[in-house]
Amino acid sequence: MSCAKTIAADLPAFDRRFWDGTFRFTRIGSGALGGKASGLAFIKDFLAERFDAEAFPNVEVNVPVMAVIATDCFDEFLELNHLRERITPETSDTQIGMVFQQANLPVELLGDLRALIQQVTTPLAIRSSSLLEDALGRPFAGVYATKMIPNNQPEADVRFRRLVEAIKFVYASTFFREARDYLCTTGSSPDSEKMAVIIQEVVGQRHKDRFYPQLSGVARSLNFYPTGEARPEDGVVTLALGLGKTIVDGGVAWTYSPSHPKAPPPFGSVDELLGGTQTDFWAVNMGKPPAYDPVNEVEYMVQADLAAAENDETLELLASTYDPERDRVIASLGVRGPRLLNFAPLLVREELPLNAVIENLLRVAEEAAAARVEMEFAITFDRNHDQSLRMRVGFLQVRPMVVSDEQVEVTIEDLMRPDALVASNKTIGNGIAEVEDVVFVRPERFSVTDTQVIARELERINNTLREEGRPYLLIGFGRWGSSHPSLGIPVDWSQISGAKAIVEATLPQINVELSQGSHFFHNLSSFRTSYFMVRHGGQFGINWQWLNEQPLLAETDFVRHVRTAKPLMIKVDGRTMRGIVVLSDNTQGSK
Amino acid sequence: MPHSTVTEPAAKTESSSTVEPSRKTKALNSFQIAQAQFDKVAEYLNLDSATRDLLRYPLREFQFAIPVHMDDGTIKIFRGFRVQHNDARGPGKGGIRFHPQETIDTVRALSMWMTWKCSVVDIPLGGAKGGVICDPHNLSAREQEQICRGWVRQVAMNVGPITDVPAPDIMTNAQHMIWMLDEFERIHGGRLPGFITGKPVGLGGSLGRTEATGYGLVFTLREALRELGMKAEDTRASVQGFGNVARYAIELYLRLGGKVIAVSCWDQEDQCSYTYRNTNGIKLEELLSVTDRFGGINRAKAAALGYEVLPGNAWIEQDVEILIPAAIENQITGENVGLISKAVKIIVEGANGPTTPEADEKIRERNIWLIPDFLANAGGVTCSYFEQVQSNMNYFWEKDEVLSKLDVKMTAAYYAVSELAKREKMYMRDAAYAIAISRVAKACHDRGWV
Repeated sequence: MSCAKTIAADLPAFDRRFWDGTFRFTRIGSGALGGKASGLAFIKDFLAERFDAEAFPNVEVNVPVMAVIATDCFDEFLELNHLRERITPETSDTQIGMVFQQANLPVELLGDLRALIQQVTTPLAIRSSSLLEDALGRPFAGVYATKMIPNNQPEADVRFRRLVEAIKFVYASTFFREARDYLCTTGSSPDSEKMAVIIQEVVGQRHKDRFYPQLSGVARSLNFYPTGEARPEDGVVTLALGLGKTIVDGGVAWTYSPSHPKAPPPFGSVDELLGGTQTDFWAVNMGKPPAYDPVNEVEYMVQADLAAAENDETLELLASTYDPERDRVIASLGVRGPRLLNFAPLLVREELPLNAVIENLLRVAEEAAAARVEMEFAITFDRNHDQSLRMRVGFLQVRPMVVSDEQVEVTIEDLMRPDALVASNKTIGNGIAEVEDVVFVRPERFSVTDTQVIARELERINNTLREEGRPYLLIGFGRWGSSHPSLGIPVDWSQISGAKAIVEATLPQINVELSQGSHFFHNLSSFRTSYFMVRHGGQFGINWQWLNEQPLLAETDFVRHVRTAKPLMIKVDGRTMRGIVVLSDNTQGSK
Repeated sequence: MPHSTVTEPAAKTESSSTVEPSRKTKALNSFQIAQAQFDKVAEYLNLDSATRDLLRYPLREFQFAIPVHMDDGTIKIFRGFRVQHNDARGPGKGGIRFHPQETIDTVRALSMWMTWKCSVVDIPLGGAKGGVICDPHNLSAREQEQICRGWVRQVAMNVGPITDVPAPDIMTNAQHMIWMLDEFERIHGGRLPGFITGKPVGLGGSLGRTEATGYGLVFTLREALRELGMKAEDTRASVQGFGNVARYAIELYLRLGGKVIAVSCWDQEDQCSYTYRNTNGIKLEELLSVTDRFGGINRAKAAALGYEVLPGNAWIEQDVEILIPAAIENQITGENVGLISKAVKIIVEGANGPTTPEADEKIRERNIWLIPDFLANAGGVTCSYFEQVQSNMNYFWEKDEVLSKLDVKMTAAYYAVSELAKREKMYMRDAAYAIAISRVAKACHDRGWV
């Protein structure tokens, strides 16, 4: 966040005491802190000042203890080991990861790391904090790596090695293909990027071999998909059990409007509800060491299901139970039946003022950023001496949302136009763009078993169009970027980064709850990429016939690439969330 | 192992315990200086007489003959030493010097200083030192190998991974250590890489050893700057010496943001030293590019690069905040101590004994923050300790791990000394001695020796 921009010199130096040092937020090195760390450095004082602690007596909010390795250490690491020279466009991510693992960290920071690790034996998150993220005012969500380490080994030597490996991995991720592609789309050179690294305590509690927060969340102060009574400016909150990776990866989580916390998402039936809520979660693996794989981001992470969470006694405030006999959902675990992660004890029964706290935090963060914001948090619950419930909120990230302010109008009549190639009343973004290329997944060939192949085919076409500098309209089925291939096409952003507009559609064979752009939300808003949601059989749709009549440039098993004779105009009205794609000539006068 | 009691050419030692730590040190040899330093601190610590008697002298001394069949067919007898000053805190540790002017008293003094050095950085080792009276310049590699193997044969039963661990020192190197290790293993059977340190990486050596002394010096300097409220980027330094210690110290100090404006270096051709100055700050890579394989800076090339070439002693009179004597002993003397600029706030002793007692007194009077040699340059022995630990396990650490441990050790040692100095209003050198000696004395007490 530009207003929160700060430099490392403003922070106290790490005094080799992590937990009981004079300061909870310190730096190692003397360079910049990067976007994420700068945002947190800024917000921590704001939070202390502005969060209404008196209104929430059983709630504790803070930024978890952290030490930031400033960007000068990154520069020195690259220079000392001649790493920039060793990376070519052909070098694979794995090769980059291994080269970085073999390199030596600058000696200046080793003593501090050693001192830190000697006194910390709980899990640590090693997080990227990119300089360009700050400088460009662009969120680089999910572009660079974060690595969790259990840090529970009895020997300091082992903990130190794992920490060093994780730092080198985060450094290496600066040069991974996805990051390089992303930088290209921002018009920045990979050489201009610098990486700070945040070493931060992981918010959570240990439950046998797992360590996780009971609840992770992302809250945005602007909602592009309000449902029911909610308005865009009410914002939107997504909650998940366990680590936030579930949300960041676009997995199944609970999304609601903070102005209507008791209103469930629009599921058609209990079956849909059961199928559309979270069933597994991420945790840090505190148990048996996994196979050694320092270039794997999830090396020390583990997934578990709701039964495991119930065993850990972490569902009490989060889950309801479906009572099949009465065909109703009960906001409690007191009865037998399938557990349903709808956070009703908190949102409906209000056993703790979760939603009020989130609303308050959103307001504070908006004030701090002077912009619409997105924030990430993690929460644990425990009990006071008098057995009353207590909630500890770890504030993990805050960043401004990039929102276009171009005035575009798309009326309901526009959506009904017969010449509309794509029309939707559920879009993300705002503005007008032109493309001549359309890349679409062939509906007649689509199958959920082939989504990984489709991802690779799309990547090839994307790379070609990117090299040619041709933005395009992308149409596909299921949840874009889902980590579950059965729910949609599991692409990462770099595989579709050249798209100017993305259509997420359903088919009878993949009639899932759509992602609503959640996985790529920040990429979309950052690159002004529009997003259309189209459900099959709905009021508005896609003109497949017209598409298939366009001149074919490439065709694979599952994907077709066509180029239109005249440019297509993509229009999205951010206020009404209506959007259309029409031939350019036909749109005159509708602005 | 029978050993000779050669008294020549080793000098006799004054054994009087009434040697006064006065300024008349010119008349004293190294061992007497070491004893005088000890006496002073023993008095401060109020050590009992038995402990003083124990620590004023080495626990054990080995003096022996090493017959060598020379390349010309003759047989020559070389004199060898190993002195184990004290091993109450752990196996002895100390180098082996090849030097034509070697004396038993020098070796005694050095072994005592090793005891204090290991103690001040709190590594579980005692102090020892060895040597052979010889000049390697005049010996073939085969002859040197015979000396190494002969030296080991004479003390093989009294040294080893759990008793006394040698290392390279003046005019000995990794090759000598490998010959010695090989002979030791031949005598004892098996592979015992923990017998000796300073081995090459890949053959039992430790990563980070080359940088350890210079980096260790800067770790202590970094903390001193922090304590004095100074920022490295606001400081300048002048360095005497351009050997291994100086180079790595310069490298790290520059990386911390400091500026080195002068470096003095021995010129083999002219048989004198010169100071190379650039008031805008020297560039290490640039100077290294005009350095010969013996470590000497080429005067003409340095001048061509824009460096001022000044007399060798000019390094001491520069207007800098930091002086780093990292060449040889007795370089800051009563004669030149007055030349030290008023700007100087810190002296970090990279060399062993670079400051004479007279100069030391002046430095103390001027309240210059001094980081004494056996603390500042203890990075080397600390890393040797790491090498020995790794060798004993036959499991070797990454460089990151070695240097991180070194930093933590050196920083902790620095603060132990500086906190005592501040608390008791002591001179840093005295505080370092007080800590080192009290730890050794305690170990002797705990073992029931005294």
